[in-house]
Amino acid sequence: MAPQLQRHNGFDIFIHWFNAACWLFLAATGLGLIDNPALNPLGNGYPRVLRALFGSGGNLLLAHEIVGGLWIAAFLLYLVFNLRGALFFLREVFSVSPARDMTWMLKKQIQMTMGEKMLLRLGLDPHLPPQGFYNMGQKAFAQAAIVGSLVIALSGMVMVLSQLTLDSDRTILVAWAIMLHYLAAGVVFAGLLVHVYMAAIAREERPAFISMFTGTVPEDYARHHHLLWYEQVCGGAAPTPPPGALPLDPSRGAAPAPRKGG
Amino acid sequence: MSAQYAMIIDSSRCIDCRACVAACKVANKVPEGFWRNWVKQSLPVPVAGKPGRGHFQPGACMHCEKPSCVTACPTGATYKDASDGIVKIDPKLCIGCGNCIPACPYGARYRDPVRRIADKCNYCPERRAQGLAPACVDTCPTKARVFGDVNDPESEAGRLLRANTNRLVRVVNTKTDTQPHMYYLAATAPLDWPAEAVIRPPMAALIKAVTPGVSALVGLAAVGVAVMAGREFLAGKSKDHEPRDRS
Repeated sequence: MAPQLQRHNGFDIFIHWFNAACWLFLAATGLGLIDNPALNPLGNGYPRVLRALFGSGGNLLLAHEIVGGLWIAAFLLYLVFNLRGALFFLREVFSVSPARDMTWMLKKQIQMTMGEKMLLRLGLDPHLPPQGFYNMGQKAFAQAAIVGSLVIALSGMVMVLSQLTLDSDRTILVAWAIMLHYLAAGVVFAGLLVHVYMAAIAREERPAFISMFTGTVPEDYARHHHLLWYEQVCGGAAPTPPPGALPLDPSRGAAPAPRKGG
Repeated sequence: MSAQYAMIIDSSRCIDCRACVAACKVANKVPEGFWRNWVKQSLPVPVAGKPGRGHFQPGACMHCEKPSCVTACPTGATYKDASDGIVKIDPKLCIGCGNCIPACPYGARYRDPVRRIADKCNYCPERRAQGLAPACVDTCPTKARVFGDVNDPESEAGRLLRANTNRLVRVVNTKTDTQPHMYYLAATAPLDWPAEAVIRPPMAALIKAVTPGVSALVGLAAVGVAVMAGREFLAGKSKDHEPRDRS
């Protein structure tokens, strides 16, 4: 087996797949909760089928609310048990180096849709600028997912609270929450299509997909796709692997990461 | 033809006793400060030499053919039941967002302060299940309100509607005519009270901008993915992506 680098810890892997399962269920049931000929993004039959599947519209709403609550609770627990990991993730995701990352984003899109030859034809250097722990595409989706999830969670809570405590003269908040809930979910879903393709279908990113199960990526993949991170972990004087990450082979240069609480 | 339950009202019979309002409140446990039905008054205008005449107009949810409350509801919790033409509220699906309340030109809806969901006249389903007329109809001492399936030619409401085809009055706001199934016989007053149906800004934005915008964005992403997949799996992958030594 090729030398591996630790990329995700158990909490990351769990929350990623738990989130994926929740999103799938919440997107499917949420779309079924919209039923108005002026809206229905998938046609008028979809909400009918979903409601029949759950027995009634009320059951569908209840299931959506329960899973939505579990989803929020899981993220709160993730923050409690893996705060350092979460902060590392947030810092990486929101640190954008405009010149390098925008160039990467532009070139990557040309490369993925029209090929590297197009980059050459346009007189561009086919090399992409080196990327850190996340590349700009991953960062862009993560940013949308984080901001979108906050909007989705908060607006969802407003809708649940509407039935529990909200006064009649404040219902405009609920109406705005419904609009924002759909908007945020729609934007995240658009990004999700690209995320699923890049991670699970495109061959190039296969090691990253596998790392969402094993937690590790091959060293040469890290060097090729995340050079700045690779240099930080393997080449630099002060290696800083992600928290909780322990290089499988410490002899390769990376110091063992400090363990939380120990 | 499916049923269309409706009310035919001879408002000239109304004596403004409001027994219908009280009976409705009792039958439906309507919370204090709210009403599912009403009697509107046209005040007498004294003209020199003649005594002025007032007019009383009983009303309630009109179970419209084109209900703007249904248009304003994002979830279908408010819906027009195709089997009986009654505009209903699913209390388990309604979250009380309040969109439907200003959407009704007739002020027929309120948000129940206890259950925190929309509520309005539903023609007393519990009473009808026992073979009784809605409470307001049953209690009216002058029989100003007639209730029934107007699509059934044998029903009293159906016969009344057919017999008076040319003298039916619908009380509407012409800017947002919802085609009510509440018919007034011959003449009624007042006529100027229905408001314009209001679709609140968040719902209007959801209909006009957010839904088409999200569909376009998701469509764009899907096209992007399809192009990438086509390049990778159909056009045959060149050696574009062999790891390359950067030195």
